[in-house]
Amino acid sequence: MTTPIEQRVVHIISQLVPVKPEAIKPEHRLREDLGMDSVASMELLSMLAEELELDVGVEDVADVHTVGATIALARDFLAKKNVA
Amino acid sequence: MSALPPIVGDDVAGPLSAEVARFAARAIDARAIDQAHAIPKAVLSGLAELGLFGLTLPAEYGGAGCSMRTAAQVVAELARFDRSVAVTLGLHLGLGTRGLVKYGTASQHERYLPSLCTGERIAAFATTEPQAGSDLSALSTKAVETAGGALRVNGRKVYVTNGGLAGLYTLAVATPGLGGRERGQSLLLVERGDAGFSVEAEEHKLGLRGSSTTGLVLDDVTLPATRLLGEPGMAVPALAHILSWGRTLMSAGCVGTVRAALDKVQLQVATRRQFGKPLAALEVVREQVARFEARAFGMAALVDEVARAEGDVLLVRSLAAKVFASEGGWEVVDGAIQLHGGLGFIEDTGLALMLRDLRVTRIFEGANDVLLSHFGASELTKPLPRVALTTQVDAALAGVAAEADDLAKQVEATRQSLLSRFKVGIFRQPRWMHQLGAACTWREAVDSAVRLADTTRRPEDIARASVLAFDAKARVARLLNEPIPRDLLEVALRETLPLPEVRP
Repeated sequence: MTTPIEQRVVHIISQLVPVKPEAIKPEHRLREDLGMDSVASMELLSMLAEELELDVGVEDVADVHTVGATIALARDFLAKKNVA
Repeated sequence: MSALPPIVGDDVAGPLSAEVARFAARAIDARAIDQAHAIPKAVLSGLAELGLFGLTLPAEYGGAGCSMRTAAQVVAELARFDRSVAVTLGLHLGLGTRGLVKYGTASQHERYLPSLCTGERIAAFATTEPQAGSDLSALSTKAVETAGGALRVNGRKVYVTNGGLAGLYTLAVATPGLGGRERGQSLLLVERGDAGFSVEAEEHKLGLRGSSTTGLVLDDVTLPATRLLGEPGMAVPALAHILSWGRTLMSAGCVGTVRAALDKVQLQVATRRQFGKPLAALEVVREQVARFEARAFGMAALVDEVARAEGDVLLVRSLAAKVFASEGGWEVVDGAIQLHGGLGFIEDTGLALMLRDLRVTRIFEGANDVLLSHFGASELTKPLPRVALTTQVDAALAGVAAEADDLAKQVEATRQSLLSRFKVGIFRQPRWMHQLGAACTWREAVDSAVRLADTTRRPEDIARASVLAFDAKARVARLLNEPIPRDLLEVALRETLPLPEVRP
């Protein structure tokens, strides 16, 4: 069972690269496994921040290289937002 | 003919360049190559006799094992005489063989390198497809693993430099599932003569007409798995390295072309008289020539530094070199034509051919606009390290070093302001990334020019670096201005180019 955040992340990825959502796994690396270039992987994080209205800085995404790490980042920032 | 900027600290490049220049002056006729749409066999044999096809290939297989810097110098020298010849050799040494040298297995080396060193076999490289250019994720040429463990390849590649001459092709293809990677791309070695592999007819081009450019067709080509180059599914990082060589050698060609154009300018402005005096006595002309010389100096300095770089610095700075050299080449040769008046428009002068040959350098090996966006994005996430030049150079260069440091500070202030204003959303601001990339390109060129001038300490080089910094300041100030507002653009384009629907 996937969570709404996971679904959101997978949906955005499938908009950026021609991969079916059901084929995208948390362990996939954005560049090596999903074929994103450096700009596309940053655009993914940017779209995510925009859609979920998260206050994410470039320094926060420097080490995000996998689908799972992207989901974790979204969770962390949503939690911070809800606390605030 | 004036020389390219001096080569400091390389025992091979200088004497070899002189030998290449002697050969080229004797054997290469650029106009004839352009008209024949081919390089004479005698020229290719001459390059082979000089050992140039093996210049950067390992000595144990018959190569000279030289550095990229030496290769860059040789390519620049050849480009002074003819760009088609320079591109043919540069492609072989860069994109064509770099992947094999770095990622090839011992048996791949044994099979291919000896004949590549002698020029008996020429190398080509193919990524571009009818529907995939700079976007590698869109590759549709596919290699699928068969039940027996072989690879069946189908697809088509286009605009392949050396396509009609080559005996070995490095191809980037989609390999879904290979190596466990859902969307992986891999590199494959394809030989001329492989069943199902064919080379299409030569393209008719605006320039580089002596250089071979063809399409390739792969129709159920079945290859053993040993034809995979490097790790399956890992073409992207390998391509980054291969392209950094390709871009640097291509940039070196621009350095040579510009030197040849400026030699013609020197002669023209000294001998052509207008208003009772030679053009060289007119201040407006003098300023233009000084700017061109400064640009050529910056190009040579940046390309030489990049050709000596390694790792991430090579990957990122090769973007800057490619853009700066190709844009600079275009501007300088266009200016050289202008200074020749009507004569510049006539093919006999040689400048028209140079301009035609140069045009594609802003397109191939990564279209400049794409590279600028990548450079801008790279600077936003991991800026190139920089030490203030005022702390590094001789007192004679204190003024120009301070100018360069000011320029870098302006760029850094804009970078910081973009990060704070947009946060991660900056990656949804493509025009800002592009503009920042362009500004950083100028910063890199000025820094390199100052360091080269600090090495040579020639007054003319210090002045060239200063003129370049002056020019850069004005251009960077413009690049760091706000882009035209999006809503204004959309209204301006409403009747001619309404925003298309983007499908995932």
